[in-house]
Amino acid sequence: MELVKKALTQEVMLDIFKRTMPFQVVSDAMLRRIAALGWQASHEQGAVLYDAGDKADDIYIIVSGKVEHALEPGVNARRPVQTLGPGDVFGWAALLERYPARLAKAVCVEPTEVIRINGDELLRLLESDPDAGDVVMSRFATMITRDYTVPDLIAQLRTIHRKLHSGDIQGMNLTLYRVSLWLKSPRPYLMLIGFALFLGFWYLAVEVWKLPRFREMPGITVVIREWISKDPTYGLSLYTEEYYQHIGMSIWRVTQAFVLATLVGVPFGLFLGWSRKFKEYLFPLFEMLRPIPILAWVPLAIVMFVSTESAVIYLTFLASFYATALNTMLGVESIEESYLRAASCLGASKWQVFRHVIVPGSLPFIFTGLQISVGVAWFSLVAAEMVSGQYGLGYVINTSYTMVRYPTIVIGMITLGAVGYVTSALVRIAGDYLMQWRVRELALGGH
Amino acid sequence: MSTNRFSARSAARGAVSIIVFLLLWELGSRSKQWIGADIFNPLRETLGALGFKKNYLPWVGAIPAPSEVLAAWAGVITDAGYWQSWYKSMFRVLAGFTAAMLIGIPFGLLLAVNRTAFGIGFPVFEVLRPIPPLAWVPASIIFWPTQEMSIAFVTFLGAFYTIVINVVGGAKSIDQRYFQAAQSMGSSKWDIFRRIILPGTLPSIMVGSAVGMGITWEVVVAAEMISGGGSQTGGTGGGGLGFFIWNSYVGGSYQQIVVGMISIGLAGFISSELLRALGQYVTPWLRLR
Amino acid sequence: MNAHQTQTRGAIRIDDVVKIYDPDGAAVMAVDHCTLDIEAGEICMIVGPSGCGKTTLLNAIAGFHEISSGRITLDGEVLCSTDKPKAEPGSDRIVVFQNGALFPWKTNIENVAFGPIMQGKLTKTEAVEKALGMMADAGLAGVEHNYPGEISSGMRRRVEIVRALMNDPKVLLLDEPYRALDSLTKSVMHEALLEIYYKNKVTIFFITHDLEEAIFLGHKVAIMTTRPCKPKKILSVDIPHPRDYSVLTSKRFRELMEETNEAVHEEALKAFKAGEKEG
Repeated sequence: MELVKKALTQEVMLDIFKRTMPFQVVSDAMLRRIAALGWQASHEQGAVLYDAGDKADDIYIIVSGKVEHALEPGVNARRPVQTLGPGDVFGWAALLERYPARLAKAVCVEPTEVIRINGDELLRLLESDPDAGDVVMSRFATMITRDYTVPDLIAQLRTIHRKLHSGDIQGMNLTLYRVSLWLKSPRPYLMLIGFALFLGFWYLAVEVWKLPRFREMPGITVVIREWISKDPTYGLSLYTEEYYQHIGMSIWRVTQAFVLATLVGVPFGLFLGWSRKFKEYLFPLFEMLRPIPILAWVPLAIVMFVSTESAVIYLTFLASFYATALNTMLGVESIEESYLRAASCLGASKWQVFRHVIVPGSLPFIFTGLQISVGVAWFSLVAAEMVSGQYGLGYVINTSYTMVRYPTIVIGMITLGAVGYVTSALVRIAGDYLMQWRVRELALGGH
Repeated sequence: MSTNRFSARSAARGAVSIIVFLLLWELGSRSKQWIGADIFNPLRETLGALGFKKNYLPWVGAIPAPSEVLAAWAGVITDAGYWQSWYKSMFRVLAGFTAAMLIGIPFGLLLAVNRTAFGIGFPVFEVLRPIPPLAWVPASIIFWPTQEMSIAFVTFLGAFYTIVINVVGGAKSIDQRYFQAAQSMGSSKWDIFRRIILPGTLPSIMVGSAVGMGITWEVVVAAEMISGGGSQTGGTGGGGLGFFIWNSYVGGSYQQIVVGMISIGLAGFISSELLRALGQYVTPWLRLR
Repeated sequence: MNAHQTQTRGAIRIDDVVKIYDPDGAAVMAVDHCTLDIEAGEICMIVGPSGCGKTTLLNAIAGFHEISSGRITLDGEVLCSTDKPKAEPGSDRIVVFQNGALFPWKTNIENVAFGPIMQGKLTKTEAVEKALGMMADAGLAGVEHNYPGEISSGMRRRVEIVRALMNDPKVLLLDEPYRALDSLTKSVMHEALLEIYYKNKVTIFFITHDLEEAIFLGHKVAIMTTRPCKPKKILSVDIPHPRDYSVLTSKRFRELMEETNEAVHEEALKAFKAGEKEG
């Protein structure tokens, strides 16, 4: 048995790799690095490459000749004895860290030339490039599980798989990483320029240049000073209790209306999408009432409801309801036919289809609808509060106007914007949490 | 999943619901007339226990019946002021909406096409967007010299946000391959803009317009109600269907309130259909579902 | 010699089936008196140009579409006929869809275990355990708790096939499942499919437009005419199973290709001239 270490040219090795699985699916760059680890050996006829139970060090690729590969009985192999020829790869046990013993006996039936790659070195190389490493390992896994069923082997593969991915950026790290990328881009600076331009113009136009129409407006310095003052001239600032009472009132109303609209609108929309009969009966009525602007309901609502509080909530509810129901229905209708067909093939009853396919499948649309619903709720609430009602940010803005407290108008507006944004973001976050699968799909650059 | 093929049966079902709805409304609004009967004693007790008044059904009992509304409508149709309100509201909606398109589409396209412009403009835009347009009414009244202009500004704002968002979204979703194809055929930047970006964003604009139109009506109606009637003789400011409704309320004519509501609903529907027809004309390659 | 000759269930008989579509009153015949026998446990490949109506046949067997006349039976039981034009979808004939129909909102293992749990045939624990075993068998160990959106499309196909096999179906209906995959992945998928087939006794009804794929995989290849479709030529592939990729370069394979290539090309040309739309 003579081992001759010959430096095979890179090109020849690359060529052989490209013809063998699992290497052929890997990029050229990675192949070159693998090739750099390989070395050639020649064996004569009858030479025993290794025996079952031997320490497993190298992986073998046959360049020329024939090798008889006999797996030991303990391994549930489909084909226990195989004759391997040029292009075949064997000796995979070398790639498994805790499985260093050979599973078979390999004997050269003819004079044979092989390429040998050290298993540990190859493993380390694969770990350094998790993407390519992953491809190789999963092909390798396919080949192994095709040929034999050894639970330990499979467990080993999983460990390696996990090791390859331990370096992945997960969760919080991903967020930090993205933030750092964002900071390095021109975006935050452009954003600052944008705000500077806007606020600067506001300041200059009102307080410095005193342009014709802008003169009357409350200037930015006035507003800010009022907002942060401990004893505001017009009674509302970050330090007054009343400010938070108004905010709380508005938020409370929106929450009531939004929750009600969701509880009624989502099931209603689901049925509209799911049952053709239901839709035929009720959708025309729904579409007939929808064009009536919410605010056109204001006087009638005041007549209908004894208290203005109920009227305000009713109006807000109505706006949210339309948005939620409509989007939910669209969500159900957007579910691809093949999912429904697959479910019925798999024996799901109508109700099971509803629970396991229709509801989760429409969630993306439902959440878009809910975000719109929140926006619309604020819209209606403000209007309703401006027209009738006590307390609330809409009320504040209206009365500030009538009582000529101009800076407070702006404070009210800004507060409204901020609160509206936060509530919308909360809905979006809830959606992301419930639809993990979508978040991951999008993160991987999916549609 | 559901192909909305028009069939007599589905139309009949829809009609049934509407008729049932009208019947229930009629009965409910006239509840004062029948709820006194002995059969309904338990009903009255339940109402009382829940805290409602016992002599009519809650909510629906307070509103005028469809038959009364129809009668009021018959009376109003002959009144010139009614049609003037129609005209005023439609005009405001279409004017505000057109203005929003004229300014919003170029602005949106600028943001979509130029990264620097996007970086500067979009954050400010996004920060201002959550402020409901109606919250701008007082500021708008202070700023603009006439009432009409202040209403127009708020109307404009309402549709503006939606249109810009849709333009930006539409431009971003244009398939990259169209750009590549154009470039490989030697198009100039202006060509690409005119022949790919513009038509490519049109579908999103059309969708955005439908939503924007709805918002515009809301704002117009609200603005008309809030900013008051203005000149009663129907001068340049004031009036409109929103004012019509408010006025009816103040004047105690509840049937007219409902007339006004339905009128606005109709007007809104007509304007949406006009818009959709325009959309089909402008983007014939799209078969809207 | 052929493995399937020991199988006794999953024999499909398509008997003089006609399907006429009627959009806006213009009757379009999609399937024209098609008669085809598929033996129990056989891999039957249906080859034809796009739009020729082969998917209609599959949908009729699966129970998604009606037939206008004729009869389709499975192991002697009538699935659909002139009197009962639409079959009931069921887990004895499971479809693997062209663009994949794994539920994106369930993890892979939840998808795979779906069928038996829904039908109440296994408890959740039992189903999951069986699913783990079957997934490992198919070389899918390690991705059980990922979502379909996170794995490659080739793996997704395999998960879908395993999901179907969990229900011990008589027939697997495959509607151009590998159409969207690159040829490298495809060749691996073919071998994987055969592995699965050798381990599980099912009849396979496989639609494709790829003649090579058909001859490589199938016991029987039915070449269909362009719309309206009926079998133009039925080829019995006498290459013995088990097969591996070396078959592709064998002499017999090339001979079979030559025999059938012309027939396929003829129909493809007709379809092209008729301006068939894709799919």
